[in-house]
Amino acid sequence: MTPYRLPAGGLIDRRTPLSFTFDGKPLTGFAGDSLASALLGNGRLLLGRSFKYHRPRGILTAGAAEPNALMTIGTGGRTEANTRATMQELYAGLEARSQSRWPSLAFDIGALNGLLSPFLGAGFYYKTFMWPAPLWEKLYEPFIRKAAGLGTASYTADPDTYEKCWAHCDLLVIGSGPAGLAAALTAGRAGARVILVEEHAAAGGMLLSETAQIDGKPAQDFVAQTMAELASLANVTMLLRTTAFGWYDGNVFGAIERVQKHVPVPLAARAVERLWRIVAKKALLATGAEERPLVFGGNDIPGVMMAGAMRTYLNRYGVAPGRQVAIFTTNDSGYALATDLEAHGIVPEIIVDSRADAAFPYQGKARVVTGAVVSDAAGGKALSSITVLRNGETETVAVDALAMAGGFSPIIHLACHRGAKPLWSDAQSAFLAPGNLVGLDLAGSVATTSGIAACFEDGARKAMALLDEISVHTTPAAPIAVEGDIVSPPARPLWTVPGVKGKAFVDFQNDVHRRDLDLAVQEGYGHVELAKRYTTNGMATDQGKLSNVNAIGLLAEARGVSPDDVGTTTFRPFYTPVSFGALAGASHGHDFQPVRRSPLHDWARRLGATFVETGLWYRSSFFPRPGETTWRESVDREVLNVRAHAGLCDVSMLGKIEICGRDAAEFLNRVYSNAFLKLPVGKARYGLMLREDGMIYDDGTTSRLSENHYFMTTTTAYAAGVMNHLEFCAQVLWPDLDVRLASSTDQWAQMAIAGPKARRILQTIVDADLSNDAFPFLAAREVSLFGGALHGRLFRISFSGELAYELAVPAGYGESVAEALMDAGALHGIQPYGVEALSVLRIEKGHVTHNEINGTATAGDLGFGKMVSATKPDFIGKAMVGRPGLVDPERAQLVGVRPLDPETSFRTGSHILALNAEATLENDQGYVTSSAYSPHIGSTIGLALVKRGASRHGETVTIWNGIRNEFTPGRLCDPVFFDPENEKLHV
Amino acid sequence: MASLVPCPHCGARPREEFTIKGAALVRPAADADPAAWMDYVYLRDNPRGRYDEHWHHTAGCRRWLVVTRDTATHEIAASREAVLGAAGEARP
Amino acid sequence: MSDFRLTQQAALKGCTRLVSRAIMLEALPEGHVIQVLGKPGDPHLTARLEAMSDGSPHAVRAAGPGQCFIVGDRTKTHAELADLSASLQPEAFGVDQSAGRVRIRAAGPMVEPMLAKGTAVDLSLSNFPVGHATTALIGHIAAHLTRTGDDTFEIMVLRGFAQSLWDDLARMSAEFLED
Repeated sequence: MTPYRLPAGGLIDRRTPLSFTFDGKPLTGFAGDSLASALLGNGRLLLGRSFKYHRPRGILTAGAAEPNALMTIGTGGRTEANTRATMQELYAGLEARSQSRWPSLAFDIGALNGLLSPFLGAGFYYKTFMWPAPLWEKLYEPFIRKAAGLGTASYTADPDTYEKCWAHCDLLVIGSGPAGLAAALTAGRAGARVILVEEHAAAGGMLLSETAQIDGKPAQDFVAQTMAELASLANVTMLLRTTAFGWYDGNVFGAIERVQKHVPVPLAARAVERLWRIVAKKALLATGAEERPLVFGGNDIPGVMMAGAMRTYLNRYGVAPGRQVAIFTTNDSGYALATDLEAHGIVPEIIVDSRADAAFPYQGKARVVTGAVVSDAAGGKALSSITVLRNGETETVAVDALAMAGGFSPIIHLACHRGAKPLWSDAQSAFLAPGNLVGLDLAGSVATTSGIAACFEDGARKAMALLDEISVHTTPAAPIAVEGDIVSPPARPLWTVPGVKGKAFVDFQNDVHRRDLDLAVQEGYGHVELAKRYTTNGMATDQGKLSNVNAIGLLAEARGVSPDDVGTTTFRPFYTPVSFGALAGASHGHDFQPVRRSPLHDWARRLGATFVETGLWYRSSFFPRPGETTWRESVDREVLNVRAHAGLCDVSMLGKIEICGRDAAEFLNRVYSNAFLKLPVGKARYGLMLREDGMIYDDGTTSRLSENHYFMTTTTAYAAGVMNHLEFCAQVLWPDLDVRLASSTDQWAQMAIAGPKARRILQTIVDADLSNDAFPFLAAREVSLFGGALHGRLFRISFSGELAYELAVPAGYGESVAEALMDAGALHGIQPYGVEALSVLRIEKGHVTHNEINGTATAGDLGFGKMVSATKPDFIGKAMVGRPGLVDPERAQLVGVRPLDPETSFRTGSHILALNAEATLENDQGYVTSSAYSPHIGSTIGLALVKRGASRHGETVTIWNGIRNEFTPGRLCDPVFFDPENEKLHV
Repeated sequence: MASLVPCPHCGARPREEFTIKGAALVRPAADADPAAWMDYVYLRDNPRGRYDEHWHHTAGCRRWLVVTRDTATHEIAASREAVLGAAGEARP
Repeated sequence: MSDFRLTQQAALKGCTRLVSRAIMLEALPEGHVIQVLGKPGDPHLTARLEAMSDGSPHAVRAAGPGQCFIVGDRTKTHAELADLSASLQPEAFGVDQSAGRVRIRAAGPMVEPMLAKGTAVDLSLSNFPVGHATTALIGHIAAHLTRTGDDTFEIMVLRGFAQSLWDDLARMSAEFLED
């Protein structure tokens, strides 16, 4: 027989039927159903196959801990594997598919694994399939992989959006059962900012499965009335369909809200899942308790279910578990189910109570057998009978459903997420939350309180105490009168059920059974952390919510110690699985990271620039022209044109820092290794910054715009780091200096105008005289443009080695000014050039970048020895720069390199060997830091850091590319390949 | 998922807003013994427990702070301005 | 050169106002933004700056110890900027960021939940009253936030990030834009 929908009852909306499919078969449920209750209501018992042995599996629970009823929901990009049917709300058109079966759910070839089970016991992959070794990769591993496994991820992109949110509150209440509701009411009425989190679609927790009356009304009415009051309070936020999954530093809680996982077609403008980070001054865990399975033979056969879950299906969903129901209990809670079943006309076949001294005043009609256990259950794809063992005698009872009531484990996971270990209580036979928690308390059954009235009172009282600590004074919500409340003493644990013949499962999802744990102990893996990994108990997607406590109890009995001595494995976030989509939030695709756009971006785009990402910036790489088929053609043309005529390059992304204050000069003198005290107003100077260890940190130019105002440029890559560093120097090292810093990188559109025609072109828009006498090399001044229509800053500095300027104008005018220069320069052959050409030009001139400033290079290594002041009393790096290792003549030094045969080439990163030396680590003399094809030299040229390189110009070497195994004969040379006398610079 | 750092000027902020430099040490005088400089640049205590570090509120007020952090528990006992003397609340 | 006209491009020129009953986003005119570098701990700085501002509400905004922004919708001429800078010295220095910072107004009853998708700052009115300002991350981008009304914020961001921040804010507002 099978489960079935009762003709009446439950909180479902029977006027709203919903069609859905399971493995393609059309079925009907009702609004308010979970997928699990809808399947049960349709008489579906067999819902999946187990992970390892492919045993038939049904539904075990009605909540988050479900290990068996995992299915794949949705299609295409919305496919979601391993969805717990117990947590999935039913919606019209839902498509569910079973998993871990092939070719079909009913006929599954993998079930042969059940026959192979002697070879698949604990630690099987360490033992059984080891020999012969080659077979592991070819045969065993692929077979095991195909046979095992859960759902399959979709390869189609998810069309939905996900987002992250922050929230802040005085009190976070996790769980909306009686304790949570009381806490939220107490805090909400006092005006505190409250967030109430409930993982199901409806608030109420276990009250929704109850038949008790509260204040003379059904418990469900009490929930509705309480929720209505909470909804009326502006200071209370309710997050339904939201699972609090982790407790983090600073009392921040992570929670996942399933915003649109219960609708046929999500609204495109709204996220389907929302990841909350809730900053709570105080938090109350009212998460309830998890019922424990009992470990008897065949306890996984479809039809065996948790007793509490059976009550939920009956009372909340109007679904009966079967017609011949048995109850196996170790405590009083099993009788509540018996009463509820009888109310629906189902008299249990038998109640098996493990306690010989059971004294519950049961008034029902079912036969009660005390001091007995269910030792085995029988049936294939559905339960058919159970074996009851009492005083050594067995009795077979035909049933189609069996409830297990093994006692309760408080759901303390979050309380353990910050490292504290749970504590075993003999009195409660359970692991309890660690003591001395800060910012967090527990109320209700998670704190071992039993009964609805007591949980409500506990919630109100704990909320009041927590709020007292933050000086929010409240009156606890008035106690409630409950009729039909069940206050049960804690269950004595029944770890080892006697007389078991069949496989008695501990971890249903990972197919770990009792003998696996025995084996682990026998083979020396009895420590809880070892047993977990040896047997895989607790390692499935449910993380042992049902299995861990039983495994610990069984290990304890096998080792002859208390569960306290065995201890638990570590509780870590996440409490239940969280989708990668939610963790990524919006940060993927176009929104993966922000884009930083130059004020000249659109100008460059109009001129056809190809862009390259450097950090977050998009820089123009080169500007291809019609007829150019390779990037090299474009770059060669741009390089030649700069040296022959003129070019314009966007350098807006250089870091720019305003340095103001009476002591700005002294400050610069200390952060640069070269002298800055005497830089005149109107002049720029190249500066070198060291780190305290004596290596070069960054370089750039700094200009003195007025007496107490300097303007520094940094490399693009180190702009943010240099600003932080300068602030450190100003705030921490030398707070006595009057110096103020501001980044102005984004204020200015800055362009380099380089080439022999640069002056003539620039003069058309700059009002001041730009002749070499009036505006010599390294002049740096504010200038007026277009007859005073605009003001900018002009610097005569050059990275290309040509007559060159950098012009900075307020960013909004950048495009217009660039266009004006292009117009004016058309006559003189101006062309835009990108960072590729810029790089070739600087390599031709031997100018270094962070390719050479690699963190291990000193000023001396790069030929800047004279820029390290010997006379300044202090500067960053001074103390360490003279260490013997940093001035060793054997160090790698900057040198140029070119191939002997110009037709041959080499790449950046290639290593330098003495001519024809063997390619070994010992023979390595350095490496090529930068390389490019130089159209002026007519071959590849490179800069390299090579041992004693500065004194080896002219030496023939071998350039070795170890990745491609290429050996190129080359010659070391002066790193300045072009215009070594700088004749073009000073014209 | 989250951890909050108290800033004396801005209140509790997520760690992502900060840049951490490392141990909060006093820079030796320029002419100090080379051994003092070796200590300052290279040697670190690496204690289990409380540790004073320089943190920069990069995406906030841009001030350098001394944050006292427990290396074992991540608990932040205090944060203060590196020079202004302003102290931050230890907890949000 | 004869037909050349000097023009100014707004960083968010393509971003039209987004509005619903729940939310409103708009790019503000690139008027003036002066970053004032004072001395941390100077108690009189803000009062002095109020007198130098254009007098509109919240024209002077705190930006960390010793620093403020003076903002306004009107463009300042080069001479006006120079005068302002001169009157600030020597106690403080003014850095023109009129082009370097871009202002966006976000308003409406859902403005707090919208911004909570990006920033960890508790923006509830009791914690972040009108006139309050701070710098914080919104998503991956640092921005300066000022509450200019019960339901109104101004967000100031580096020009280079303006388009990305606008895109982020628009995405964060999407669910509130469907009336």
